[in-house]
Amino acid sequence: MSAAKIGSISKSFLEHIFIYILAFITIAPFIWMFLTSVKDMADIYVYPPQWLPSVFHFDNYIKVFEAAPFARYYMNSFFVAAVVTLGQLITCSLAAYAFARLNFKGRNTLFLLFLGTMMIPYNVTMIPSFMVLYWLGWVDTYQALIVPGLASAFGTFLLRQFFITIPKELEEAAYLDGASKFTVLKKIIIPLSKPALATLAIFTFMGVFNDFIWALIVLNSEDLRTVQLGLAIFRDRYLTQWDLLMAGSVTAVMPILLVFFFAQKYFIKGITLSGLKD
Amino acid sequence: MISTSPEVQEEKLILASSIKGGKNKLHGKEKKGDLLPALLFLSPTLIIFTTFILFPVFFSFYLSFHEWNMFSGETTFIGIDNYVRMFNNEEFWEVFKNTAIYTFGTIPLNMCFSLLVAYILHKKIMGKKLLRTAFFAPVVISPVAAAVIWRWMYDPNFGLINYSIGIFGIDPINWLNDPVAAMAALIIMGVWKTFGINMVLFSAGLQAIPEHYYEAAQIDGANQWTKFWNITVPLLAPTTFFIMVMSIISSFQVFDIVYVLTSGGPLGATKVLVFYVYEHAFKFFNMGYASAAGYVLFAILFAITLLQVKYMKNKVYTFG
Amino acid sequence: MLNTKKIIMKKNIFFNLAIIFLFVSINCGGDNKKNKSDNVEIVFWHSFISSTVPALNELIQKFEKENPGYKINAQYIPSGDPLIQKLITSIQSKTAPDISWLHSDFIEDLVEADAIYKMDQFIKGKDGISEEDLNDIYPSLLQYSSWKETLYSLPMEATNLALLYNKNMFKKAGLDPNHPPQTWEELKSYAKKLTIDKNNDGTFDQVGFFVPVFPAAGPLGSWMVWQFTPFLWQAGGSLIDKEQTKVLYNSDAGVQALTLWQEMYNDQKLSTFTNLFENAFVSGSLAMAMDGPWNLPRYKELLKNIDWAFAPLPSGPAKNATVVGGEYLAIFKQSKNPDVAWKFIKWMIQPEVQAFWSMKSGYLPIRHAVSEVPEFKEYLKNHSDFRVFVDQLEFGRAEKMDYEALEITRNFAEAIERATVGKVDVKRALDESAEKSNKLLKNARE
Repeated sequence: MSAAKIGSISKSFLEHIFIYILAFITIAPFIWMFLTSVKDMADIYVYPPQWLPSVFHFDNYIKVFEAAPFARYYMNSFFVAAVVTLGQLITCSLAAYAFARLNFKGRNTLFLLFLGTMMIPYNVTMIPSFMVLYWLGWVDTYQALIVPGLASAFGTFLLRQFFITIPKELEEAAYLDGASKFTVLKKIIIPLSKPALATLAIFTFMGVFNDFIWALIVLNSEDLRTVQLGLAIFRDRYLTQWDLLMAGSVTAVMPILLVFFFAQKYFIKGITLSGLKD
Repeated sequence: MISTSPEVQEEKLILASSIKGGKNKLHGKEKKGDLLPALLFLSPTLIIFTTFILFPVFFSFYLSFHEWNMFSGETTFIGIDNYVRMFNNEEFWEVFKNTAIYTFGTIPLNMCFSLLVAYILHKKIMGKKLLRTAFFAPVVISPVAAAVIWRWMYDPNFGLINYSIGIFGIDPINWLNDPVAAMAALIIMGVWKTFGINMVLFSAGLQAIPEHYYEAAQIDGANQWTKFWNITVPLLAPTTFFIMVMSIISSFQVFDIVYVLTSGGPLGATKVLVFYVYEHAFKFFNMGYASAAGYVLFAILFAITLLQVKYMKNKVYTFG
Repeated sequence: MLNTKKIIMKKNIFFNLAIIFLFVSINCGGDNKKNKSDNVEIVFWHSFISSTVPALNELIQKFEKENPGYKINAQYIPSGDPLIQKLITSIQSKTAPDISWLHSDFIEDLVEADAIYKMDQFIKGKDGISEEDLNDIYPSLLQYSSWKETLYSLPMEATNLALLYNKNMFKKAGLDPNHPPQTWEELKSYAKKLTIDKNNDGTFDQVGFFVPVFPAAGPLGSWMVWQFTPFLWQAGGSLIDKEQTKVLYNSDAGVQALTLWQEMYNDQKLSTFTNLFENAFVSGSLAMAMDGPWNLPRYKELLKNIDWAFAPLPSGPAKNATVVGGEYLAIFKQSKNPDVAWKFIKWMIQPEVQAFWSMKSGYLPIRHAVSEVPEFKEYLKNHSDFRVFVDQLEFGRAEKMDYEALEITRNFAEAIERATVGKVDVKRALDESAEKSNKLLKNARE
């Protein structure tokens, strides 16, 4: 074996060690969260802190679901997040395509305006947004959670950045065959942009799923409440019910992580960019 | 600069020009004046955007020149009073400084970590899927829940962090009651919470770089480092640009994790701009004043973004 | 709405799962509103945490049973900032509840927005209550229910602070476990004896008394001020003058009280101690802390391995004092049934109901007459810790700030934080804060 080869093996070994240690540090808070969620209060309050519970105590998960109608909250959260995600994929692809490929007057100004809206803190636009909702008569409805999320400056920006990296030669042929702009977007751009779309999808889904303050102000009915609103009952400003809050948070994080785990090939693969080679 | 083969250089040029967006006249079918199709493509976004985003944004601009009773909705015009008061307020400048420290503390660490992790994961690594999920996990958890856990981990008695560093013989750090340490605690958590986003974006970007560029450079005898600097970095530029712009925008607006983790303390050391905005909007109900602060933040971010755009233009990978 | 309440009570997850299928089939909220009969429904916002919710449900059931034809739809809104955000937006959108549970410092803004009724409207109405009944409520609570001496709400429950301590630790430190500290001097000397560095590593493994210092601007800032005020009063001081023209917390009494906090904070090195005092107390690393009665129901279980007790707060150089607080029920002008809302409040403040609620929830009753309710008398006999709180109500005090209460409280909190964590001179910290507050007051009154 040549020295170079040994070098590269040991280097790869070091890289493995490094990345696994880093990954462990990254998920340490989750391990802690999970282990806390299966402890009883006596174990949680032990000093100095102990990683492992003396008895695994899955009751907390049941207690969470008894404390509030969480099944309903989950359905609401998933429903709203899914609709917003789907909608945003469509609206953002369309808008991003216009910004990436079409020439029209005021394009750059409009784009800057889009970007600009992300720079105003949410705290000052929240109340005016709410007023719009009220004028539309949408307070305490699913629309209130869904419709304002259907356009996104972030999503448009993300997709536009991706679209402009796609070589135009690919579209040329289609145009020569007489395809419309919409067909080009649908048949060429979108399939090539799967990673970007998947990325946007998971970010959007997460953002909607984790939203607290907007859901808080637009919803009243118990029937419409979302998971994050539900979890707030375990975290008063004076008292944190660690056992239940941790169990509730584990339940809230798992679905998205599982989706990420199984769907990640769409983020990372799918863009061999054969186009560049041709 | 290493000497890459002419073929690669040529491709780089093509790539660069294609990144330029619609302006390239080489591509026959497109001509100036796609206004109608553009309107069609943009209309769904524009309608929602105008109603739910643009209107509130302009309304809060209007409010920044008013005193607004949030309960009754009454407004009184007061000109630029809110702005004058703010610039004369010592606390505002303190808060501004804290925000800058947070931003410039978080972003470099964030970029380095996310690119490094994406780069390593791009190679042959065992358990890639699991690793990626692990690095992405902090992004998924709600910021509030995450901050609750971190506050606990930073706790001097019950926290795992001091306990763990104690194993290595490091003295306990007074994370949340010391002004400097609290900012560090916030930055560490901020990096942890967001670097997974950038890792995913970088991963997608890395995937998009054709293997044969590296192969060509290999033939030219480039080492890994030069390949990284001369192929990876320039070709990741659109991604990096996006990440930079977004990171600055979001770091300047950090709020949830501050609210729960340090509550702006100790002694106001971690009170950031949006926290200040929040305090004035929802604690003291000076929405006009809060809006003015929001617009100062906007002006800063807009200026920084324009600078970035200009910088990117100079580097060929144009913005628009 | 009915469905979900049933779920909570039935405690049946399978029913929850069934909701999923129901959801898929109806796919849109609001449909199940139609199964409400002719009942008049009152929407009631509250912030009771999940451990109090069972008691609340019992309370509501009791009301509904005793008052057929009326329904209380209790909706949980997280306390503090989220509650006020929700109130602001709901008033703007005409979706305010009929009744909301409020913190006292919200009243000023709600009155200015003309959002809530004056209580006189109902008290003196045909379904009113007598002057006698009203005066039976603890005066400090009535003060907090008012704004500029006009009553805008009525208290739902009372709270105050007492001293929670660990008897075993007292014994180990050679202190009499049945003689908790009576004065500031004793509090200080006990705290010193109870603060121990077991392994000589320079940090204390056990701390005597928890001085509740939190970041001033955060959600716990006002909570810190609330816990500091008894000390201010015990030293003979006040928050603000009678005419509400300037704050008085930087008086000599204020300096004395804050100096006590500063010394105890630094002597016990609390800046390197946890601020999760409950965790510390349960794990046996803390001997004394101030705490309210609302945790009592939980403590039975949580503190089962500890020999603990509550004692009245020690008295200061001037007098005994504890802070009395509570949460207050106000009726919104947007309510379609203000009379029914009043019916609930009127019912709520009856001695028997107060006794029932107090025993179930661990909160304190709002009026003297409750002590005459036989069940409650019996309950007090068996619950000596709870009794400490009830007895203290007699010397509980309140000072209501009518102008800019929230911002002045924040300024005061900053002074406390600066003097303790920041080690700034007490007088200077208080004076600088008072100057800011006085400026605010002056502007607000103009």
